[in-house]
Amino acid sequence: MEDDKIVGYVTAFLKKKGFTQTEKIFQEEFQHNKSNTSNSLLEPDIANHLLAFSQLETGPARFHDGYSRLRTWTYSSLDLYKHELLRVLYPVFIHCFMDLVAKGHVQEARNFFNTFREDHEMMHLRDLQKLEGVLSPNHLEEMEFAHSLRKSKFNIKICEYSYELLLQHLHSTQSTTILGIINEHINFQVTPGQPSLISDDPEAVTLTGSSQEAANLINQKEIHWGLLEDSLEERLEKAGALLLDSEKGEGEAKEGENDETKKRSIEGGKQGGASVKKVKKDKGGSATGKSAKPEASTVPAAPRVKPELPLPVIPTEVEQSVLEDLRNRVQLSSVALPSVSFYTFINTHNGLSCSSISHDGSLIAGGFSDSSLKVWDMAKLGQQASSLSQGENDTSQNEQIFGQGGGKRQYTLFQGHSGPVYAASFSPVGDFILSSSADSTIRLWSTKLNANLVCYKGHNYPVWDVQFSPVGHYFASSSHDRTARIWSMDRIQPLRIMAGHLSDVDCVQWHANCNYIATGSSDKTVRLWDVQSGECVRVFVGHRVMILSLAMSPDGRYMASGDEDGTIMMWDLSSGRCLTPLIGHTSCVWSLAFSSEGSIIASGSADCTVKLWDVNASTKVSRAEEKSGSANSRLRSLKTLSTKSTPVYSLRFSRRNLLFAAGALSKSG
Amino acid sequence: MSFVPKETIEVIAQSIGITNLSPDVALALAPDLEYRIREIMQESVKCMRHSMRTFLTTEDVDTALALRNLEPIYGSTSNDPPQFKRAAGHKDLFYIDDKDVDIKDIIEAPLPKAPLDTSITSHWLAIEGVQPAIPENAPVEAPSEIRKSEYKEDGLPVDVKLPVKHLITRELQLYYEKITDLTLNKPGSIPFRRALVSLATDSGLHPLVPYFTFFVADEVAQNLNNLAVLFALMRLVRSLLQNSQIHIELYLHQLMPPIITCIVAKRIGNRLSDDHWELRNFSANLVASICQRWATGAHFYYCMVPKRAMRRFGHIYHNLQPRVTKTFLHSFLDPTKALPQHYGAIKGIEALGSRLIRLLILPNLEPYLHLLEPEMQPEKQKNEMKRHEAWQVYGALLGAAGQCVHEKVKMFSNLFSPPTRVTSRGSGKAVIAMSGKRKASTDNLMQQQQQLPPMKKLATDGPGGVVAMNSMLVDMQGSTGGYSSMMGVSSMSMARQISIDNVPGREVGDQQRKLSSTLAQAWKDDIDTGNLVSSVVELFGESVLPFVVSNPEACMFL
Repeated sequence: MEDDKIVGYVTAFLKKKGFTQTEKIFQEEFQHNKSNTSNSLLEPDIANHLLAFSQLETGPARFHDGYSRLRTWTYSSLDLYKHELLRVLYPVFIHCFMDLVAKGHVQEARNFFNTFREDHEMMHLRDLQKLEGVLSPNHLEEMEFAHSLRKSKFNIKICEYSYELLLQHLHSTQSTTILGIINEHINFQVTPGQPSLISDDPEAVTLTGSSQEAANLINQKEIHWGLLEDSLEERLEKAGALLLDSEKGEGEAKEGENDETKKRSIEGGKQGGASVKKVKKDKGGSATGKSAKPEASTVPAAPRVKPELPLPVIPTEVEQSVLEDLRNRVQLSSVALPSVSFYTFINTHNGLSCSSISHDGSLIAGGFSDSSLKVWDMAKLGQQASSLSQGENDTSQNEQIFGQGGGKRQYTLFQGHSGPVYAASFSPVGDFILSSSADSTIRLWSTKLNANLVCYKGHNYPVWDVQFSPVGHYFASSSHDRTARIWSMDRIQPLRIMAGHLSDVDCVQWHANCNYIATGSSDKTVRLWDVQSGECVRVFVGHRVMILSLAMSPDGRYMASGDEDGTIMMWDLSSGRCLTPLIGHTSCVWSLAFSSEGSIIASGSADCTVKLWDVNASTKVSRAEEKSGSANSRLRSLKTLSTKSTPVYSLRFSRRNLLFAAGALSKSG
Repeated sequence: MSFVPKETIEVIAQSIGITNLSPDVALALAPDLEYRIREIMQESVKCMRHSMRTFLTTEDVDTALALRNLEPIYGSTSNDPPQFKRAAGHKDLFYIDDKDVDIKDIIEAPLPKAPLDTSITSHWLAIEGVQPAIPENAPVEAPSEIRKSEYKEDGLPVDVKLPVKHLITRELQLYYEKITDLTLNKPGSIPFRRALVSLATDSGLHPLVPYFTFFVADEVAQNLNNLAVLFALMRLVRSLLQNSQIHIELYLHQLMPPIITCIVAKRIGNRLSDDHWELRNFSANLVASICQRWATGAHFYYCMVPKRAMRRFGHIYHNLQPRVTKTFLHSFLDPTKALPQHYGAIKGIEALGSRLIRLLILPNLEPYLHLLEPEMQPEKQKNEMKRHEAWQVYGALLGAAGQCVHEKVKMFSNLFSPPTRVTSRGSGKAVIAMSGKRKASTDNLMQQQQQLPPMKKLATDGPGGVVAMNSMLVDMQGSTGGYSSMMGVSSMSMARQISIDNVPGREVGDQQRKLSSTLAQAWKDDIDTGNLVSSVVELFGESVLPFVVSNPEACMFL
């Protein structure tokens, strides 16, 4: 019986291939061999292989059937191994779909995609949306995402027993198609022992392609995340020792004042009230004295590093003003929340693309989609308002202020870009503004001269973000061309080009010590780059959608990133791990900001709220998470401040820990 | 195969001049078109995000096209939504109805308003973490909503307790409708009387009590002109109060207002022949029974009521009688009130007991009678209706004072000997003409005598009343200070006004001062009975004699 089957299959194969002469010769030879009975025996293994090989050619249904069987088996497996085996399904699903498209079975590919896509929508919705449009082999070659998927491997961590279970299933069901895909596109990291818990595995969301191994190697590099030597904070620390001596003298003077107030309080009631006020002032003074001491004690905890860039010289006046701000800084904590001053843009007609606030809140810049950059001087606005209100009531005051569009402009208009302005950044002192645009250029403006000074050209595509360094003079930019560049104000060519992201670089942020920059990308990763060498020293994986905002802690230890879905991740720079996700926002996180001493994070979102988060509680919970394995994210959210239908575009803490926020009033129509 | 149908490709080909496109070409182009559209849309979403918007606009699409070195889509914008129309002859083909507009019309049209320029305002979103309640900030409710969503995200479901439905069976609904219909439409019929008996004795009516309560309150407010309906409603309330199967005490605070309305309302009924005086008497007795049963139960049945019941109702209703008394007193002492309202107040206080009569009515008796006397004279009050009302009030006052005197005389005579039957019967028949100072028609006098017997019955209920009076006296001592001071002030002011109007001589002045002092102290328990009786007789004349003639020894004081 088997001989007849084999002859039939071979004959059909030869017919299919068009070898008519070979078929005739084969049949004649078969008839000739039939007479010799002793030579007609065939080995059974060869027969089985021939049968299996013929089954391979039945058509595209084998992808659908193979994946369906694998899926059924995985979902019905033991819970102990189920979460590990489920990770195998996504790459198999994607590659089955792409193989079907590559072989020209477009209709079957679409049916396959629609049948099984729901399993993976939660984790990979954006990728599925991209792949859904792939309908021909040409699209596979044109789309870089699909192309990179087909040329690289997924890395999946799995325990030894789960791996053996998977192989046994594939061999027992003879799913050679699925087995081929797994061998070609999945790289298993088999670990001995028990399967790991889901919460203990930070690599549950893995990078696609071989860059996962590169990311692991990169994350083992050493980085010096400490603060700069000879910085203003260090000088304040040294001045703190001098303050202790001077406070003693001030204490003696206060004691003398107390004696005088005691004498006055004996005299009468009216003077008693005055003495009470003086006592209150003294208490205020002593409170500021007390708050300065713990501030000095916390600073030495951060290690010191040398700057790798030649830093500019800070003028003496600026240095003194910074030191004064640091001395008078409000100490924030989970029980002492900051005050928030909110700037609302009115009548933007959906044209405001970005906003930026200077360090002291006196200047507000707004970038618009009509290529203009407008800067408001809040000090002048305040003077106008006060002068108008002398002889009029509030209603007419508001009317006249808003109606002054024809007469006087309340803002300074900077025009020069030929595309929408996507980012604006004030220099630390406030005398320069940088703006980036869709016309691929970055422009430097002077707030004193009200003119465009420099136009930096180097990017080939829209520049999404631009940021001044914390000390000025240098700035970084990120672009649609997947690069981030570092510039100096006095040169029109970039100093460094950071290349390595797989998609748009959406946001950029400087480290506190100016030796590193961080970039967030549409490839859902955040990377840390060394400014001196231009190398990538950290890759942070964990977001599921594009990253829209970044913030660095003042002590250089932590970083926060916000994404399109409203998730905020807190990262430890030295280990490259995510401490905790901060869940609470329901829409894009446009802006993040650390307070000046690093105890509070503020986040502004498109859901019209500003949220305040406790940094110390986040770090504590991360340690407790290792023990208990579960975290209560409500404890980390300190406060939610709602605006009245105004998405929050930008946030900034001043040097004295006053939080400035800006947003555009959105009309409900 | 693709989201873009083949017909779309053919229509686009025709629009650019290709009329004989092969179907195979259309099938091959459709997936490619879908792919290109998806690419542009993904780029548009990136531009949208970097413009800090959450909704896609045409500018984003134009920017995405520019990124690919493609020409943007040109055309003028209009605020009207596109108008799609169905093409004739084709079932699935639509087109945009683009009208031809003369360029002359466009040129001559007035220019639209220039958009307002962008401006900026600032306010405090939070001061040290606290959001001030200023117009620029969102209302305080918004954070709680956000916290609720946070709770849901954390996996803590919020348990919202929905109100429990009050289920009424079909039979109870029919019963309720039947009784309410009889009350409103056939108040005097025999089925209504049977309904009253059913309400007073049936069990299982507790679910209907809140509905009956609201029914009575609503109908009393709407039927103040309908005396028959009001009487029926009050009888319904009496039946509910008599039913021991239901817990009517839980709804007393809803039932009291309509009952008191029937006592002190300004106008009840719409005809001159309506006897609203009887309704006021009936309602006053209802209030008295309620107060006696629930408000003063802790004191009246002190020996019989267990402690659990006292704890259960005492703290809820201990202030019921003072509140009711206060309502009546305000109505009685208010000169702007109508005479029927005074009548109702007097009847209400009288029904509550002799102690309240001595506490609230007797100290104000003399000044009130001086104000009332002109209303009773035909020479001064021409309106016969008003005179009738005045005589009704006079009768109520006479009844109240008589009841009080009777109580005191009875208490006095109990110390010596019980009254004899022959004496009371004989003296009842004797009718002596009143003095010339107080002239009255024979009809009014007959009305007074008709009302006397029921007052007598109430006054002589039994020795329980005496016990109640004694205990109430002790408990009310704390609250009598306020009452007496208030009444003293009003009494003195009334007396002064009267003295100004009339020029008294020495003899008359002395008599009035004596009367005022005696009546002002009527609330005291140790008052001289002889002085009290002589004072009341001085005011009312011989018409009060039936209350005291049962004891012949008391005649010596006259």
